[in-house]
Amino acid sequence: MKRYDLYDERTQSLRYIDRYPKSFVRTPKEPLIARPQTLTEQTLAVDLAAQLHAGPLNLSEMNGQRAIGQLIEIKGRILDEDGSPIAGAVLELWQANAAGRYVHKQDDHIAPLDPNFTGQGRLVTNEEGEYSLFTIKPGGYPVLPTGWWWRPPHIHFSILGVSWMDRFVTQVFFPGEPLNETDLLYKGIPDREARDRVTFEMTETKMGDLSYIGFRRDFVLRGRKMTPEVDG
Amino acid sequence: MIPSPISTIGPYFPFEFADDACDLTSLNGATAKGEHITIVGKVLEEGGGPTVNSIVEIWQPDAEGILRHPSDPRFAQADPGFRGFGRARTLPDGSFQLRTVIPGAGNGRAPHINVSVMAIGLTWRYVTTLFFSEASDPVLDCVPAGRRPLLVAKKQADRTYRFDIQLRGENETPFFAD
Repeated sequence: MKRYDLYDERTQSLRYIDRYPKSFVRTPKEPLIARPQTLTEQTLAVDLAAQLHAGPLNLSEMNGQRAIGQLIEIKGRILDEDGSPIAGAVLELWQANAAGRYVHKQDDHIAPLDPNFTGQGRLVTNEEGEYSLFTIKPGGYPVLPTGWWWRPPHIHFSILGVSWMDRFVTQVFFPGEPLNETDLLYKGIPDREARDRVTFEMTETKMGDLSYIGFRRDFVLRGRKMTPEVDG
Repeated sequence: MIPSPISTIGPYFPFEFADDACDLTSLNGATAKGEHITIVGKVLEEGGGPTVNSIVEIWQPDAEGILRHPSDPRFAQADPGFRGFGRARTLPDGSFQLRTVIPGAGNGRAPHINVSVMAIGLTWRYVTTLFFSEASDPVLDCVPAGRRPLLVAKKQADRTYRFDIQLRGENETPFFAD
């Protein structure tokens, strides 16, 4: 059991983002209500990885056929605020293909689908809180149908950790992409260091039987050890 | 260490990730004990318009009020047929549907279901709690009395309960600091 302090807003996204109109009609207006954290907020189903069939994941090929695009490996760890690994966390990810198109039925961008790429799946962290997978570097795409702006390449991550309180959803950007600087959601995180916490680091360029570019992204979920004297 | 920034779930959260988790009433071939119910509702924006592809997640005790977690003192008796966690997506009219059981009271809490919503336009996750009555509860009691009815699911036809989530505006759902 951990304790969960409120997020420091300065380390997070703005709640309202200029030129992102749905933030203004959906973000609650009333003040958020303080409440105690009881056992139900501090827990979550303990067997979610099994329930959701989360396992090893390789998005870079299907039926032995490589997806089109740049092969990349993504690795990282999921930690809490004390730096302790979160084992057994379910990580769900979804992304566009190399042409900037999602398999999602409601993506009506005209870029082609890739028959060997779904760009979505679930995996589970090991005892050290580590995850890794192969995938394809996603393409950027225009936000349709309103034509607001071009999204830079990014991968969405959803993490189910150890409690209702550490539920975490984000998107991770690639370093040095020019479109990052005009992305409403990237810029919606005002703090540069916080932006770096949702940007991959390039770690290696591997050459051999399998050649790929390595990227790394750790995630820190909210939650720290309770101090028994203080928290009972 | 500093928690990583949360972002919007966006428009393309895979349907499959919600559709395989919207029925909590069976697990590993076992059927959940207790009264099976359907929770229906809409996730609405200011002005009453629908939200599409929003994700509604729930986490709740089983019919006996036991949480599927070893910290619950009665964990050994937790219902093997009840998942505890579930997720639904909203259709173009903003509606969602979850199959679950009426939770029991336990661990100092009235029967309740933790609810969160993530959507296009929401750069944070917003959390609330569904109740079945206005009976005293340490979380419900934090809500101003006039707004408590907004957190009580309304019994409809047989075994259906309605819980609309008004993100913003008139009759705004009370959300908790999180």
